[in-house]
Order: sequence, then structure tokens, then C-alpha cells
Amino acid sequence: MKLTRTTAAFAVAAVVTAGALASCSSGGGSEETPTSATGSETGAFPTSWDEEITIDVFAGLANYMGMQQGWFAKIVKDKFNMNLNIIAPNVAGGGDTLYNTRVAAGELGDLIVTDKGQKLDELIQGGLVGDMSEYYPLMENVGQFDTAMDNLNAESGGVYAFPTSVSHLMPTDASEGLNPTFGPFIRWDYYAEQGYPSLDTLEDLLPVLKQMQEDHPTGDNGQPTYGFSLFKDWDGNMMVTAKQPACFYGYDEIGFVLAKADGSDYQSILDSDSEYVRSLRLYFDANQMGLVDPESTTQNYDTLYSKFQNGQVLFAWWPWLAQTAYNTEDNMAAGKGFEIAPVDDMEVFSYGAEAYGGKQVFAIGSKAEDPERIAAFVDWLYSPEGAYANSAQTLGSAGPQGLTWDINDAGEPELTEFGNEVFLGGGATTPEEWGGGDYLDGVSALNTISVLPIDVDPNTGFPYSYTFWPSYQEATATPLSEDWSANMGDATSTMDYLSTNDKLLVAPGASFTIPTDSSEVETLRNQIKAIVIQYSWQMVFASDEAQFESLLKELQDTANGLGYEKVLETDMANAEMQNDARVAVTAAFQ
Amino acid sequence: MTTTTTTVAKPTKPAKARRRKGHDHDRTFGDILFAMANYSLFALLVVICAYPFYYLIINSVSANDISALGDVRLFPQGFHLSNYEQVFQLQGLPMAAAVSVGRTVIGTLLTVLASAFLGFMFTQQRMWGRKFWYRFLIITMYFSAGLIPIFIIMKNLGLTNTFWVYILPFIVQPFFVILVKTYVESMPASLQEAAEVDGASLLQVFFKIYLPNMTPILATVAIFSAVTQWNSFQDTLIYITDQSLYTLQYLLYMFINQASSLAQAAQNAGGNLGQIASAATTQTPTSIRMTVSVIVVLPIIFIYPLFQRFFVKGIMLGAVKG
Amino acid sequence: MTSSMILAETTAEQIEERGKKPKRGERGPGKKSFTPFFLILPFLILSFVFAYLPLFGWVYSLYDYKPALGLSGSEFVGLQWFRLLVSSPTQLAQIGQVLVNTLAISFLGIATSILPLGFAVLLNEIRAKWFKNAVQTLTTLPNFISWVLVYMIAFSLFSTSGLVNDILMDGGLITAPIKFLDTDQHVWLTMTLWSVWKGLGWGAIIYLAAISGIDPSLYESARMDGAGRWQTIRYITIPQLMPTYLVLLLLSVANILNNGMEQYYVFQNAFNQKYIQVLDLYVYNIGMTGNSLSMATAIGMLKSLISVALLLTVNWIAKRVRGESLV
Repeated sequence: MKLTRTTAAFAVAAVVTAGALASCSSGGGSEETPTSATGSETGAFPTSWDEEITIDVFAGLANYMGMQQGWFAKIVKDKFNMNLNIIAPNVAGGGDTLYNTRVAAGELGDLIVTDKGQKLDELIQGGLVGDMSEYYPLMENVGQFDTAMDNLNAESGGVYAFPTSVSHLMPTDASEGLNPTFGPFIRWDYYAEQGYPSLDTLEDLLPVLKQMQEDHPTGDNGQPTYGFSLFKDWDGNMMVTAKQPACFYGYDEIGFVLAKADGSDYQSILDSDSEYVRSLRLYFDANQMGLVDPESTTQNYDTLYSKFQNGQVLFAWWPWLAQTAYNTEDNMAAGKGFEIAPVDDMEVFSYGAEAYGGKQVFAIGSKAEDPERIAAFVDWLYSPEGAYANSAQTLGSAGPQGLTWDINDAGEPELTEFGNEVFLGGGATTPEEWGGGDYLDGVSALNTISVLPIDVDPNTGFPYSYTFWPSYQEATATPLSEDWSANMGDATSTMDYLSTNDKLLVAPGASFTIPTDSSEVETLRNQIKAIVIQYSWQMVFASDEAQFESLLKELQDTANGLGYEKVLETDMANAEMQNDARVAVTAAFQ
Repeated sequence: MTTTTTTVAKPTKPAKARRRKGHDHDRTFGDILFAMANYSLFALLVVICAYPFYYLIINSVSANDISALGDVRLFPQGFHLSNYEQVFQLQGLPMAAAVSVGRTVIGTLLTVLASAFLGFMFTQQRMWGRKFWYRFLIITMYFSAGLIPIFIIMKNLGLTNTFWVYILPFIVQPFFVILVKTYVESMPASLQEAAEVDGASLLQVFFKIYLPNMTPILATVAIFSAVTQWNSFQDTLIYITDQSLYTLQYLLYMFINQASSLAQAAQNAGGNLGQIASAATTQTPTSIRMTVSVIVVLPIIFIYPLFQRFFVKGIMLGAVKG
Repeated sequence: MTSSMILAETTAEQIEERGKKPKRGERGPGKKSFTPFFLILPFLILSFVFAYLPLFGWVYSLYDYKPALGLSGSEFVGLQWFRLLVSSPTQLAQIGQVLVNTLAISFLGIATSILPLGFAVLLNEIRAKWFKNAVQTLTTLPNFISWVLVYMIAFSLFSTSGLVNDILMDGGLITAPIKFLDTDQHVWLTMTLWSVWKGLGWGAIIYLAAISGIDPSLYESARMDGAGRWQTIRYITIPQLMPTYLVLLLLSVANILNNGMEQYYVFQNAFNQKYIQVLDLYVYNIGMTGNSLSMATAIGMLKSLISVALLLTVNWIAKRVRGESLV
């Protein structure tokens, strides 16, 4: 004990001296930093670090600001003797304020999560992020994903950024897991009561929902139920809730264009026969039938979410809204809950696994004091251990082995009792030796996926995400899922159902970045989208067919007057470029 | 010198007593009617103004899902205190509270002094360039250079990540200077003359005569400035990364924003909802916002009445007139 | 002569008398002193450093400024941002409506700015001290509630299934819920009412302070002359509050383009958008402030210049009319 401590002290002294020497002699930009205490020469990162440091992490996706807490902090501290001070622009609010001021001051952070494309290019050009070429040879875990690395850094010629959301999947494989991002989800128990009526197309839902609403006029809390309940605070390029049905048919938005995942169709949202207008008409008809919650126009997502929790809404566009809010253990045990409706002609849009990584990248600040250690940390994020730990917040990878899961007697991964409490029981307190505190407070605040949880852990042969493990799937069967499965050809999951029945359209993950608008187009776009949103809502709540049509006409005219054509041209070009990239990536990985 | 001050302050009491007596004597039917109407009016106003705060209180202790529907209106439903527990368990809360109190007390003190001094000085006709400098100060209320240039200035001055960034920019507040100046102008100029005849310097006139006699307006400035200091979090957001300098408001603001950042994220995603799907499952309910609001406002309502007593001490212009 | 006329005269005399007195700190006509200037110099420097020095940033409005590249690395675009503001006829029509909204809401705001004064005057007539203090404290509460929460409360009370509609329906006064929040009727008025509600008690503080500064001897002598409650209010209290009121009025006139955006942002929806979109909200909605720093700077600069120009104009008018400038 005594001995180690002295050694440590020596080592610290050595590092400090070396550091001092380095700063005296090198004068900046030197190729070989004399890091005597580290193992650069030996071809591996050092396994222990003597001096404790705290780094500023500018985390573009983080939903938490402050020091990383709990078990993730403990792991990082133990491995790298490092604390993460998370700076989260999302939490700070004010749009890009925090980013702009920090960038203007020339210091964004020691570790940076930002968008690739223009933002990253400017940071490289402005000298705010460092070239990690020196350490890249040591980064064995990132090295596995060299296709993505090469693609990402091709233009800059150095190693400035590390891709996120990487995997060994094909770009044509869905990235989502067991549940798609979109889908027509309905109250399955009520649908069952109606005798599972067949649905040829989306509009066929209206009479069914009407009957469901009539049979169940109030939710679990005695308040009125509605087929549709819309909300206003996420509207961006268009009315958010009106775009979702387009996704059930394989389209996604790129500006004002709805582009089909397979490149077979591009629509201007304002065309009278576009999927967007179709959705508006759907809601309009629904409203005429009394299916639309009159509070839709004024409520926010918060209120909507509570309505789902209380069973006041019968239809949802997203499993992550409806199922999270309503499919509680109790409800599902009672056979109640949301499941996807078997709409015959749907082709649900799915994001393919990004071949060259997601929209965000990791980068290391040029003024970071210990870039080597940060590089080692980044590299660790791509190791199996890092993948289990880091991607825990978002897509549900299993957390650290030994805490939430372990290998069972059959040699398969299985959730521990603690893991069951965390993932099924809604949270648990972490044991002290793992850092203590609530498990959920201890997940990685980076909120940025390094390796996709759907990717397979080479050590276990199963994905990092516990939701795929057989042991988990057995444990979570409920009367609801059994009934659904029985009526859906024994599908094991929504994704399974969609892909078996050819109802899934995967957009190949080409890691395409939409080029930034010219300032002129940007200004035009921003004005037009405000108009689009305003008229869309009015159309849904129009008093009759004639008013609906005249509002549509008015919207088209106003938008054209504001320069819609010009913006559309840009978006069409972008959509085609995106499709070219998708075709290219599919070919490249075949 | 001292004599002037005392004569100013003394006659307040008897005058007030007499005044009150006079009123009681003259009470007519119309007076009573007016009083009744007046009391009812203010009672009504109190209800309209206090109810929303009451609404926040009952919602912050009601079951979060009922509260988000807007159904809690008169009494709490599904009473619980876990929202408060959650807030009080925030890391670094005591330290942040201390910083907030510190900046509020120091900042307010300096702002009040500076406003009083400047307000008084700008009434000095003999000041060189008085009008120009006054306008120089006032028009700063109407322009802003934007965040980045201000940030660069702060950084170059070495103020980022220091406590002084909370204090220095707040010292000179044109609006308060205007208030004080207008107030001083309503005071008799003879106060100053009398003192100057006695040989008092400008500073003595200010500190010994004017400062003690402008308590009502200084109380106003103090309230305004204290509330601004107490409530401000933008400066922490921009200038501070050192967590030991976080303010209470900022800590709470971040805590709240973990909930509302969802809408922000949805818009940033540009329609790519896959990115936010997961965040959407872990949001903090609106009732947390309400809880935070209650926690922040409560100290203000308790401290505010302490300032109110400064509002009744007026000076007697008549006293120095004769 | 009625008593009120006598009162009016005597008070006017008293006030005038004081007005004629030699002005503060005037040591012989025209003689300027540097001492007071040096005394305030440190404060002027503070103001210069924190308000004027950063104005160098206005130069960004001539560039396509990218913080990562610095000014030298950013492209010089001349007046492009200013031209973009007025580039198409449809856009001009939009801006026209936005300006109408802005001015309408500002003028309603100015028209209601007398209310805090009235509030203070009436509160001053309340005899029970505890009641007075309680009113004073409780009416400031709305000022502390953020607009986001105000909207939550408004939603709870005024949505189609809100409290007010419930009561009206139960009372049989209406058969279908009234759409208070998503209507294009009376938008300016309701928005003004919300801001009055939020600012009334808080805004009255200034006047309450000013009232406690009024010389009680004025009331004394008025009462001797037999003045009643209304006469003292009319001839003493209100005239004494006027200087403060006028200065605040002047300041708010210079602010007519700045309504702020938070209130309108939380209350906006597709149905009231046409009338609720004030300049600040419009600028926010079309993302001018979000995406391009230079555009935001250009807009900020224009608004600043207009405000300062308005301030100076109003001040000049005040000087012509009252014979005395306000700032």
C-alpha cells in the first residue's frame, strides 16, 4: 500500500515535470509530446492516470447540465481519473447562444459533441478542435469503425472527429430495435372489442375510432376521450402531427419535400394530393366526426402526454409516446394498451443504420490540457464495455455488466434482479460500490450513442440492448402482447410484424448531411413555415369542405408569394442528393 | 448641519395624527360608500392576482398527471410532496442559494447607492455637461449590442467566471437613476441651499441630507433591483462555468429545462423524430416548474413587506419652508 | 368662488412657488463646475464599458458572421441583411400587419399605463394599514410568474374544457364552450389585459413611493381650505405624481417597437396568429434571431436606432409643449 502510494507520487512528479518541460520547449504544434509517464511509445494508452482532472464536455444532445453523476461517473473516474463537467446547450436554452458565445471566445470545450457538416467544418477551420492523428493509432476500438472514420475525416485530412451511432449493421438494416419510430398505434383493447375490423388504408381508421370513442366516452379519469388529440409546441417546418401519417407510408421530410425512403417519389407538401394534405384532410374529416380533441389547438406536449397517461386518447403516431405513457405494467396485465394497427397498405418509414455514423460527432478541443486521456476515453466509448455503459440513456443498452446484467448459466446475457428493478420497475438505487444514487441519474449524460445498442456484442453474441434478449422477452409477455401477437400472425415485436409483412421501408443510412441553406433561402423558408403551420391548423378545424379547400388555395398562394418555389427547388435538390447518397451507400456495402 | 436634518424629520408624526383625526371627523355618507367600493375593488384585485399563485401551490403538491391536465383548481388532488423533495435534493443547492443571496445583497446595495448618487448628481445644474451625460446614460436603456460582443468584453476584462460579473454590470441602472432624479426634483432645493450656506460640501449634502430623505424611492429601487438580481440566470448561463458560482435561479432553471428541452430538441431535430424518441420518455412534468416557481417567489413575498415600511416615511417639505 | 377653485389656486401657487425657487446646485448663473462631473465619472465609465463598448459588435451586421472563424474569417456582405428584410411584396404585407399589431398593442399598453397610478392613488385612500400592506404584497405576485406558467394557468381556466367554460355551461349561460384562447377576436385587448394583470401591482410601487414623498403640508393646507377627498386627490396627489408618470410615459413611447416576445409566444396559435404577431415574435418566429447572428444584429441595431430616435423626438416635443424636457 505504502509502496504504491510512493510510486504514484513519483509518477505525478514525473508527469508534472514532463508537462512543464513540454510547455517550455515545444512552443506549440510539436509533433512528439514528451509524455514520459504515458505509454504512447508502447502502442497502447496507459492503464492508469495519476492526476485527477475535470474536463468540460460541450454535449450538444445532453439533457443534463453539471457534473456527471452516479455509476457512469464512477466508471469514468476509476478508469481515467477524470470527471466530466457537462455543458448542455439544450438545457441552457436560448438556441445557439451558448454555442456561439463559447465559440466566439475560442474555447468550446475539452470534449465536444456537435453536428458534422458546416458546424464541424467551421470548428476545424477556426482551429477550435484538435487533430488527433497522433493518438489515432492507439484507438483500437474506434479503429473497428474505420470506414465511418475515413468517410468522416476524408475532407479535413486529419483526425478531427469521431462518428456516433456506429455499428456493424448494413445501412439497409433498420436502426430502431424492436419498435419503429413511427406507426399508427391504437388502443388495442378497444380495437379488439370491435372485433378487429380490417383496415385497408389509414382513412378506414376513422369509423373504427368513432365507434371506439362512442363506446368509451371517458378515459380512466372520467374525462372525455378523443380519437385524435393534437398539440402545437413541436411544430417546425410544418404541423408536426400532420406529417406523421406520411411516415406511415414511407415518407420523411426534407424541408418542404416529403421524400420516399426508396427514392421512388418526392412530393411538395403543399401539392393538393400530397401526403401532408392527405393528413390534414384526415384530421379535418375526423374533426367533422367529433374525433378531434377541441383542446388540440391550445395544448402543449405535456398536457397531451398526461391525456395519454389517463387513457383519454385512442390514437398515437409514436410508440414512444403512447406505450411509454399508457402501457404500464398494470395496464398491460389488464390487457389494456397501445399496439400498432394492421393498416393494410402502410409502409412504415424506418431509419437505416447510419453507415458512416449519425448526425453528431465527438471532437476534442484544441485547447484540451490532456488530449491523450480524452482520446483514450473516447476510444473506450466504442469498446463493448463503453457501449453498454454509454448508450444506456437513449436506446436502452443494458448498462454495466455485473450491475444490471450478467451472463446466466446458459451462457446468455440476462438482467439481474437490480436490472429488472431498473428497467421494469421504474428505477432503483445503485449500490454504493457502484457510485450510489438513483440508477437513472447515473446514466451517461452525454446522451450521444457511440455504438448502436442494436449492434451485437462480440463477447456475448447478443445485442447490447437487453430488449432483444430472449430472457427479457419471455419475462415481459403480457395478456396485451399475447393478444396482439395472436392476431398479428404470432409476431414477436412490432418490427418483426412490419418486416415479415413487408410493411417496413428502410431508408438506407447514408449519413447524409443536408447542406446549409443560403441565407436568402433560409429567410424565405422561415417565413413560409410560419404560414404553413398557421394554415394547416385552420384547415383541420375548418367548418366545412369548401372552407378547407379555400384555405388550402390561400395557403398555396401565400406561400408562393413568399417564394415557396425557390425553397422547394433547394429542397428537391437536397432530396435527390440524399437519395443518391442512399443508393451509393447501399451499393458500397453490398 | 445636524440641526437641518432633525428639523426635516421630526414633525412627521403629529402631522399625520392630526390628518387622520380630521378625516374621521368629516366622514360623510359618500365617504363611507367610497370606502366600501374601494375595499371591494382591492379585495377583488387581490383575488385575481393571488389566485394564480395559489393555483401554482396546489398544483405543485398534486399528483403530477392530474395537474398537467389543468384539473386542479381549488384544492390539491392526490397530495404529495415529492416535487419539493426532488428540488431540495438538487446538487449544490445550498451553495447556489448562498451565491444568490450574496449577489442580491451586494448588488442591491451598490445599485441603490449608485442610483441615489447619480440621481442626485444629475439634479446639479452646475455640473459640466449635465444634460449630455444624463442622456448618455439614459439612452443605453434603448440599445443592446447583442450577446457576443458583450461576452467578448467581459472575457477581456477577466470577469468571466468571477462573482463580479453579477455585480459590476448592474451598478449603473439608467431607469433607477431616472426614478431617483425625478424624486429629488420634487424635494425642495432649499434643503441643499441651507446646508451649503452652513458650509457643507456636495458630498456632505448628498450623504447627510438627501440620502436619508429619499427612503421611499430608494426602497423602490431596492425592491426592483433585488428582484432583478434574485431572478436573473442569463448571466450565469453565459459567463459562468465554475459550479461554485452557480446561482439558485440558474440551478432551478437548468432543472426545469431538462423538461422543456424536449420541445427545443424536437424543433432542432428538423423533423427527424427518431432523435428525440428516447428523450421523450423521460421528461419532467410541468408541476416541477410550478414547484420551482413557488420556491423562488416565496422568499420574495416574505421579504417584500419589510421594505414596505419605508414607504410611509415621507419628508416634510413644509418644515424647511419657513 | 367655490372651495375647489380656491383650493386649485392655492395649491397651484404653492407648487409654482417651489418651481420658481433657484434650482438645485446653481451657484450663480451659467457657471459650470467640474467637481460633480468627476464624481460621477466612474459610473459613466462603467456605463461606457458595459453598454457602449460592445457596440463594436454592430459591425457584424455587415458580415456573414461565423463565430468560429472570427470577423476576419467571415464574409463581408454589405447591406444584404437589411435588404432581406424588405425583399418581397408578400413579405412587406406581412410586416405591415406585424407593425399594426405591434403599434396597437403598444398603444393599448400606453393607454393602460395610467392604471398603476390609479391603483396607487386609490390604495393610498385605504385606511386599514394591514389591508393596504396585504394588497400591496399580493398584487405583485403575478409579476413573478413566468409567462409559460401563466399560459398553463390560462389553459386550465379558459380552454374549452376549462373552469370558466365549465361554470358557464353548468349555469346554462352558453351551450357550446367559448373559445377564449384560440380565437381571432379581441386579441389585442386580451393580450393587454394579461399584461395589465401581470404588471399592475408591480408598476404601482413606483407611484406608492412617490406618494409617500409628497409633502403632507400640502394636504394640511388644502384641508384647512375645506377640500374633500376628491379635491385633494385631484389637486394634490395626481399633480404630484405627474412628473413621474410623464417620464415613464416618455420612456414607454420610445419602446413602442419592443413588446417583448415571451407573452405572445406562449399565447400564439394558428387562430390568433394574425393579430398576435408583434415584431419581436415575428422576428423570432421566422428564425431571424436563431440562425443568423448577423441578421439578428441587423434587426437589433435597427430597433435600437429607432428607439433612440423616438426618445429624442418625444423629448423634443415635450420640451416644446411643457417648456421643459424630460431627459
